[in-house]
Amino acid sequence: MRRPVSYLALLAAVALIYLFMLGPILITAVVSFNRSDRSYFPPRGLSLHWWGAAFTPQWTGAFVFSLELAALSAIATTIAGLPLALAFRSYEFPGKAAIQAMTLGPLVLPSLVTGIALLQFLTLAGLGSWIGLPALLIGHVVICLPFSVRTIAISLASIPVSAELAAASLGASPGAVLREITLPLARSGVGAGMIFAFISSFDDVNLALFVSSPRQTPITVQIMQFLEFGFSPTLAALSILSMLVPLALVALCGRVVGIGGYLQQEQGHA
Amino acid sequence: MPEGRMSEAALELRGLEKRFGAQTAVAAIDLQVQQGEFVTLLGPSGCGKTTTLNMIAGFITPDAGSIRLGGRAVENLPPHRRDLGIVFQDYALFPHRNAAENVAFGLRMRKLAKTEIAARVADALRMVRLDGLDKRRPLQLSGGQRQRVALARALVIRPALLLLDEPLSNLDLKLREEMRSEISTLQRRLGIATVFVTHDQDEALTMSDRIAVMRQGRIEQIGTARDIYERPASVFVATFIGSTNLVRAKPAGPPSEGLVPLATAAGPAILRLDRPLAAGADLLLAIRPERLQLTPTGTAPDGSTAWPVRIEGVTYLGGRLEIALRLADGSPATAHAMNLGAMAWQPGHVADAWFRPDDAWPILDGGASDGAAP
Repeated sequence: MRRPVSYLALLAAVALIYLFMLGPILITAVVSFNRSDRSYFPPRGLSLHWWGAAFTPQWTGAFVFSLELAALSAIATTIAGLPLALAFRSYEFPGKAAIQAMTLGPLVLPSLVTGIALLQFLTLAGLGSWIGLPALLIGHVVICLPFSVRTIAISLASIPVSAELAAASLGASPGAVLREITLPLARSGVGAGMIFAFISSFDDVNLALFVSSPRQTPITVQIMQFLEFGFSPTLAALSILSMLVPLALVALCGRVVGIGGYLQQEQGHA
Repeated sequence: MPEGRMSEAALELRGLEKRFGAQTAVAAIDLQVQQGEFVTLLGPSGCGKTTTLNMIAGFITPDAGSIRLGGRAVENLPPHRRDLGIVFQDYALFPHRNAAENVAFGLRMRKLAKTEIAARVADALRMVRLDGLDKRRPLQLSGGQRQRVALARALVIRPALLLLDEPLSNLDLKLREEMRSEISTLQRRLGIATVFVTHDQDEALTMSDRIAVMRQGRIEQIGTARDIYERPASVFVATFIGSTNLVRAKPAGPPSEGLVPLATAAGPAILRLDRPLAAGADLLLAIRPERLQLTPTGTAPDGSTAWPVRIEGVTYLGGRLEIALRLADGSPATAHAMNLGAMAWQPGHVADAWFRPDDAWPILDGGASDGAAP
């Protein structure tokens, strides 16, 4: 009777994995409804007080700033990543290997290091005024670019070369081939890269710690700074918010851009 | 069409050359395809046929030589300005567009009016018998249907030249034969000049007006299917297309009344040739197995060449028998006989193998000419 035993073991392992993944999130969610100003679990009395506190300008400002920053990073990363991925695929040019290494390099570098480097560079270059949104944007593009270039490259690699040649032979100029064939077929990769970039930017605290300004601070840094002085169930509420909002956005984008939906469509309507 | 005149060849290649590093892929190819003609580039993989096609299409830039389409030089034009219809080996349909959109693509790129596009797409789909499937995406079509979409998409733009790059190799046998005759019929009906690339000799023999047999970047021989099969210019051509017996031979005297006597390893032979052979030339006599016939010793018809042979084995192939022979010098040969019911020949029998003066063809040993004197 080996199968039931191994099956039960598998079940137990899966249950444990889910417990460790979802347990803390559930506890955090429950804690945010505490009446007390300590984070008791199970909560002592229920209240929406801390959720109210989360919706004060101190937090909403940082939260909205984080969303704006993530959206800008996602767009900027894609604008930089798409031409890079196309160039890496189609052309041989001097310095290609070096540019590839520089593009993918930040992947192996702790973002903390990238943050320190960026701060020092801006200071030395006399660009101290860029600290805040411009520096955060630059830093996040650097961090997110490897993800974007890789996901776009993967979707480009799946396009049959002959489809592009066929389009050209049918009278499509290189621009028209890109517009009509390459980009539509790479759509899911571009979308996935964009969402990766959005999440990486929204999640980032390491780099943002160094190049945020007092008036332009993402929510992650704001939470870190608040934690230095203590804990409040407001943070639990904010954590849940910071999880749900990007999740909802990703789900929405997935629908609009059609990650994976592309394949379903292929097999779909007969 | 600038400069283009109907009297010009549909395609003219002159001294076309391409090297990849130290490797010469195509070495100085000359080729003319007339209006309405179906020419096949036939050869094993790596012979340069696909590279030649890619240069005509503009996907590869030649190192030297010229390409003229209907009289206009195109070697410096990008692919989208060459006005060609191409059917690719993997069909290269656009997976995100349905059959009708695939076919319409070239017309949209030509900025035709919507109503004209719709009419021509409908015509093209009807022509390849796909009407009713216009809304299907490529993945929802069978291999044969995809092939037809690709064909319709290439033809709907009314190109100056149709290029077919091994379009049948991904289909199963039955479908392949069906598409073969369908493409031929369509090509003749439209009268469109066509260059067809394949490594399949059956496709080449059945579909082509002329066949260019390629080897190591060169055209080894160009001619009708009959020329290529019955009068091969080289050992390569003789053995690449069909199977053949090759017997060493030398001229054995002056020709008389168009008949040339030869001395061969298997015995004396007589050929009918319209040109004299150089005295002392080293020849290989090519005889197709179906032209080599068996008869009891001493009963070969007058005026034919008869060689004594020993029968080594008989292979049953259904409609015909493949008979393995040994010639007088001990070298092997093969004869094909119709399977007419009686199994007359058994291993160990001795017989005469005979052929008529028109049934063998001399190839200059190691050379690429027919062995005739200049």
